[in-house]
Amino acid sequence: MEPKEQSKEKKEKLWFWNWVIASVIFRLVLIYFPKNLNLASRPEVSTPLTSLRRLAEGYWLKQLSMSPYAGSMYHGSPLLLSLLGPLTVKRIEGQPDHLLCSLVFVIADIVNAMLIRATGQNLQMEYTRSLKLLDHVKLSEKPGKIIPSGDIAALVYLWNPFTIVACVGLSTSPIENLAIILSLYGACKRQAPLAAFGWVIATHLSLYPAILIIPMILLLGYGTDTPPRKLFLQRRNVEVGDNPPNDRCCEREEVVHRSEVPHVFSWRPVIHFFCWTSLWSVYVLVLCGISVKQYGGLWELFKRTYGFMLTVQDLSPNIGVLWYFFAEVFDFFRNFFLIVFHGNILFMMLPLAIRLKHRPCFLAFVYIAISSMLKSYPSVGDSALYLGLLGLFVNELADMQFSFFLFCGYVGVSLLSPVMHNLWIWRGTGNANFYFATAMAYACLQIILVVESVSAMLNHDRKLRKPLTELQDGKN
Amino acid sequence: MAESEAEVPKAKPRPIVRLGIFLISHSCLFSVICCTAGVLTLLLLPVLAKNTYISENALMPGSANPMFSSQEVSEANRLVKSLTSLDSKPVGSGIESQRLIAEYMSDLGAEISYHKFYPRSNQFHPLHFFSYPDSGSTRENVSCISHGLNTVGIIRAPRGDGKEAIVLVTPYNSLKVGPGEALSLGIAYSVFSLLTQVTWLAKDIIWLVADSRYGEYAAVNAWLRDYHMPVFSGLSALKAEICPVSNVHNELKENSVTERKINDGFRRAGTMATALVIKVTDGSEHFEDSLSIYAEASNGQMPNLDLINIVNYLAVHRQGLRVKVEKMRSLINCKWLKILGEILQSLGHVAKSLNPQWKFGIPAKDYVEGAATLASSLYYQALGVPTGPHGAFRDYEIDAITMEISSRVALNNKARKNDFLLRGGRLIEGVIRTVNNLLEKFHQSFFLYLLTSPSKFVSVGVYMIAFALLVASLPVVAASLYADAHKVDPSFGIDKSTPQASATDELSITPRSCKWLNAAKKVFLVHLWGAVVSFLPYFICQIPSCTPTTSFVVWVLLSSFSLPILSLILGSSFSYGRPSQPQKRDWTLLKSVTISAAFIGLCLMSVINFATAEIGALLMVPMCLMAQPLKLDIRSRKLRKFLRVACNLALGFLGFPPAGFFVLKGAFEGFGGITVGDFWSWLESIWSWSSATYLYIGMVHLPCWVLCIHVLFHPC
Repeated sequence: MEPKEQSKEKKEKLWFWNWVIASVIFRLVLIYFPKNLNLASRPEVSTPLTSLRRLAEGYWLKQLSMSPYAGSMYHGSPLLLSLLGPLTVKRIEGQPDHLLCSLVFVIADIVNAMLIRATGQNLQMEYTRSLKLLDHVKLSEKPGKIIPSGDIAALVYLWNPFTIVACVGLSTSPIENLAIILSLYGACKRQAPLAAFGWVIATHLSLYPAILIIPMILLLGYGTDTPPRKLFLQRRNVEVGDNPPNDRCCEREEVVHRSEVPHVFSWRPVIHFFCWTSLWSVYVLVLCGISVKQYGGLWELFKRTYGFMLTVQDLSPNIGVLWYFFAEVFDFFRNFFLIVFHGNILFMMLPLAIRLKHRPCFLAFVYIAISSMLKSYPSVGDSALYLGLLGLFVNELADMQFSFFLFCGYVGVSLLSPVMHNLWIWRGTGNANFYFATAMAYACLQIILVVESVSAMLNHDRKLRKPLTELQDGKN
Repeated sequence: MAESEAEVPKAKPRPIVRLGIFLISHSCLFSVICCTAGVLTLLLLPVLAKNTYISENALMPGSANPMFSSQEVSEANRLVKSLTSLDSKPVGSGIESQRLIAEYMSDLGAEISYHKFYPRSNQFHPLHFFSYPDSGSTRENVSCISHGLNTVGIIRAPRGDGKEAIVLVTPYNSLKVGPGEALSLGIAYSVFSLLTQVTWLAKDIIWLVADSRYGEYAAVNAWLRDYHMPVFSGLSALKAEICPVSNVHNELKENSVTERKINDGFRRAGTMATALVIKVTDGSEHFEDSLSIYAEASNGQMPNLDLINIVNYLAVHRQGLRVKVEKMRSLINCKWLKILGEILQSLGHVAKSLNPQWKFGIPAKDYVEGAATLASSLYYQALGVPTGPHGAFRDYEIDAITMEISSRVALNNKARKNDFLLRGGRLIEGVIRTVNNLLEKFHQSFFLYLLTSPSKFVSVGVYMIAFALLVASLPVVAASLYADAHKVDPSFGIDKSTPQASATDELSITPRSCKWLNAAKKVFLVHLWGAVVSFLPYFICQIPSCTPTTSFVVWVLLSSFSLPILSLILGSSFSYGRPSQPQKRDWTLLKSVTISAAFIGLCLMSVINFATAEIGALLMVPMCLMAQPLKLDIRSRKLRKFLRVACNLALGFLGFPPAGFFVLKGAFEGFGGITVGDFWSWLESIWSWSSATYLYIGMVHLPCWVLCIHVLFHPC
């Protein structure tokens, strides 16, 4: 029996790596046919913030000792400029342009997938452990019954067409995603320095991940996702009420006691996290300050990057909904609606944090999904991130409603969007409303996804509680 | 359904949810009603067509008196005469006629330039639709030996700023100028000469004399490409490397004495507002002089309706020409269509007698004519192949049509000929004068429409209803099948005796909501295969000296081999950790996913090319909806079930693209002389024009057909 299982496990591992390698090969093949696809110029892939062409332009300006932010071309971070900039000008004879950058993005994608996998394994261990504690013995004893969510999530991330398109289409979103995933991974492993580094870099690069500070604190304070704390208390009550006739129950009770340790909010890692955060932010700010010293200093930098993001200055079409709205709205209402739209993200934070505080990773997923829906320049790279993270909760969300509908919707919208864009821009028979209609459909799909996944998660928690309550009722 | 039953005891769901549940539970009835309504609406479209009207107020067609007089006619006659005399000479090297036309143009004081182009073989650009027209056209193999030479004359508008232009195109074969071509050149020349003198011109006039030696479309397309894609020094050097620059220009210059304004460079005149392609055919008409309008461009794109309206208005009300658009001749004598027309006519009478304000009845003859026109309009749009050189303009967002003027009798009589030239010239002058009034681009009227006669159209809002009704049943049936698949399976029941067991069951590996993944995998695989199949001809046509029949056979063989190979490669590695015993009812899920895929594909296609989607939906929707394992039907020996089996088999046969093609071709043109290679030639003609229809057939229709057949022969 044993060797057979081992060989099976080995086979599964091999299977995983095969697919990873296949995805890399697929990307490389696509990189060698960039002319036919022309992905880098698609509005779905490269936004003003993530376009590598803009970055190359910024680097060029910098080489001419002008401000990289001159002329409203580049709006990213100066650190990214000095990291990726030299790679954009390096050409290898006979190879496609930007080959080195593409390779960097491919590597970033692979690292992302590995980090997601590690996070998933961590989550899964915790999941199995808590199931054991809650006496869902049957479930936890069958190892095949729990899907290796880390592997699934990593493969979903790697093979998601959105990820591939974002990677091949020369947008910097793989790097941004890397920072976010790094911070999540660090927090899951409770390594405060790593988490703080990831969070600071992610915030620096794209600002919106700043809201992830709440899941970070919860992760560091409570540990990774578990069923609600109440359940463990209930379970203990059941155990205590039941006079233990033999040793096995005593053992179990001990286990329950032990289990409570991570459910107390521990301040130490959180304080560590804050110390490291301040350290890293000072470091990043100093670096930025040095690189933009002669171009107007940090204030100019903030105005050109974060200001550009928050005031939605570029109204060129993308898959979000803000461009259309701000193209239509009267100028004197503009500030008001800017506040409303960005406040929207903030309003949802607190209620969700209260309801999902026992599942900080899932909370992070929800935050990322919401922000990628309401951010000013969304691209498919953002969707790729949250769809990949969705794979982490495949065990919990197995009963999600409308999964098939959502799948069809995503397929339909992602095919329809380029067609509508073509109809509007190149054939002239459509207009902006055509393209905006797909953007709205896309936003609706994302809303449904968030709503359904949250409700499925809550249902899952309820289901875990059900046997416990019935046990208790039986006793009373 | 499963969800509905689970929810009923809890609480009453919201009305919209209840409506959905109601629809899903009556999906069979709903789909039958929807499909019938869709087909009926399609048949009603000729009745629902509206009269055209000129939407843009600024145009004011026909408000000015024509200035075109007999003087211009004599100019035209002069050119025609010298062209025909040139043609009768034995040494017509081709350049002679261009030189002659250029001489005439330069006498009028126009700017002249020659445009040399190399014909290129049509190449397959599968993603042509998604990119702008010029992408990737620089690196193509051109044959250097043969080249064509377009002559371009430009009049600068006295009142314009040189930013807009109107284009006149006269395609002609420079090696042998036919009488019709000479006449069309004559008309264009006379109009051109008039326009050099008028004061009202606000847009520049470009007269493109296209050398149609290698096809009319190729010449116009080459000129347009060079017009919109400025060649910089680096590129021209590259071109020079490819083809040694022959000294055409020098040759022409040396030959001509009166060359004053011939330019070596490429002359431009701003963005084009409109293009008119002028052709003349003679002697074919029986009743009166007539004007045929061709408007379909690639992928079923149409020019703005206002342009057709102007031409139609001026031709009918000012010049007394009979305007025609293409009709499907075989439908005019169709019995059932006549009967239907009469029924509709009498229905209209009844309605009118009930309430005199209801006027929807049209005479039966009009109905049949409208239906035939509509059918041809649908067919040419669905084909995605432009019906003339005007198609090249649409790729650059320029509205263009081909006007084919044909006379009643052969134009030997001089007075008759002069009259014909006068009318044609006045018509074109009127159209140009009207377009000259245009302030910006044509934008007021429709781009998406079908014509049922030159003065009647069906707009997008109306014809979409027919399509929407037809496909509306797809998502409903998919949802009901999906719900069915979850309800029937006993192992996933919701109420269980012990709570523990239920908890574990609900948390177990193949949860009910993820069962569709297996079916989705299969569907994805087949669609991937469809993509492979549609790219195979690209390689097959590289094989030298292949008759259509052999290529077709090779294609079929390769395609049928690639399916098992693909499923072997991907299928085995896909099924990880999933015990995939064939379940009894998993065909319902498969059918549900297939229908969803078909729905997405059809909706997508309806945006790209409506006509293709409509015809495709007519074939595919019944096939997808009816498909059910034959075994189930045969097992229960009832007449109704056998009928369904017969229906399924018939639809499955028709749905196979080659079979459908042969049946339709046989129905319209008779079965005589159909060979297997015909289908290949037809497909080749479609894909060489980069039509989206080809991709639709390969990547939506064929995979859906395969999946339906798979469902039909499902072992259950």
